[in-house]
Amino acid sequence: MSASVLIIIPAYNEEKTITSILTRLRQEAPDYDRVVVNDGSKDATGKIVTDLGEKQLSLPCNIGYGHALQTGLKYGLVQSYDIVVSMDADGQHQPEDVPRLVKALQESDADLVIGSRFCDTGSYNTPINRRLGQIFFSYLTQLLVGQRIYDTSSGFKALKSQACKVIINGNFMDFHLESIVQLSLRKYKIIEVPVVVHERKFGYSMHSIASVFHYPIKTILLTVVAFMDAFVIRRSR
Amino acid sequence: MSLQGILFIDLLGLGFMIWLLNLVRTKKLYISYAAIWFLAVLGMMILISVPAFLNGLPQLVGATYPASAISLLAFIFIFVILIFFSVQLSIISTRQTELIQAMAIKGLLEQEDPANQKISHSANQ
Repeated sequence: MSASVLIIIPAYNEEKTITSILTRLRQEAPDYDRVVVNDGSKDATGKIVTDLGEKQLSLPCNIGYGHALQTGLKYGLVQSYDIVVSMDADGQHQPEDVPRLVKALQESDADLVIGSRFCDTGSYNTPINRRLGQIFFSYLTQLLVGQRIYDTSSGFKALKSQACKVIINGNFMDFHLESIVQLSLRKYKIIEVPVVVHERKFGYSMHSIASVFHYPIKTILLTVVAFMDAFVIRRSR
Repeated sequence: MSLQGILFIDLLGLGFMIWLLNLVRTKKLYISYAAIWFLAVLGMMILISVPAFLNGLPQLVGATYPASAISLLAFIFIFVILIFFSVQLSIISTRQTELIQAMAIKGLLEQEDPANQKISHSANQ
């Protein structure tokens, strides 16, 4: 019996790209279910998704990428999907790569597959501050959990429902380093698969100038919390 | 502290207490939060009105002057209360996020399965 797969697409003001993403997903991954988490978009994103007849989790106000994604994960668990895939709605991720991620998850004994921009060709152009941050967090994973993850902030991931439960119940920000460490400390297996990621053509990135300082601090704090969590769980057993 | 100073602080404290009570009366402040501020104002009034407390305080916290000791205590109190309110704010934010998420999931589940809608409507009546 084939596993049931749900693709979660958090979207905030993505009217220019959402049609293309959903249409291509229908072609490239016809057997998988899709749900758009409309994170309080002020443009026509919600209407476009409805007109296309796609499933939509409509949030009444903007609660941020991490919580929007968490809503999709919760829905996936409520509907008992075996595998959930998260991808961005801004056109940076290629729908053609979704079956590859799912296949990698099914064929390996991994619980989480990360669609990585940097583990193979490394052709993705990113601002120097973010690239430096990426390298720092990449080495940090190696230091903390003994496995180097090249792309800790990728939004393109596939995971099994057991891993999904851990993520939802843990401390959650953007499903980046903090979640990787959380899963790794609980002996869930993580692998990376190289994917092609395009530059964003429309809309705005969720990372502001303030996030240059805010993001690393929050991520490091949540990673420490993940360690504390693992310690408390080990002690309580 | 001079009698004039003590009277001034006590009158100010009394004014704060009346203000707090009025905020509770008009439902603008929860009684549990009002109680914290009420105790803080009362503590400050007692500390300043009773010379033995005021003179003993610097020795207790290792300060040279009573004013320094009171400032230190005030700083600690403000620090603790700010953390307390950050916690309260976080609890409210978490509850709000969970509520918004539950609403969205419920909305989609009802669309997918109209039977769910009937159940939830009858439950609401």
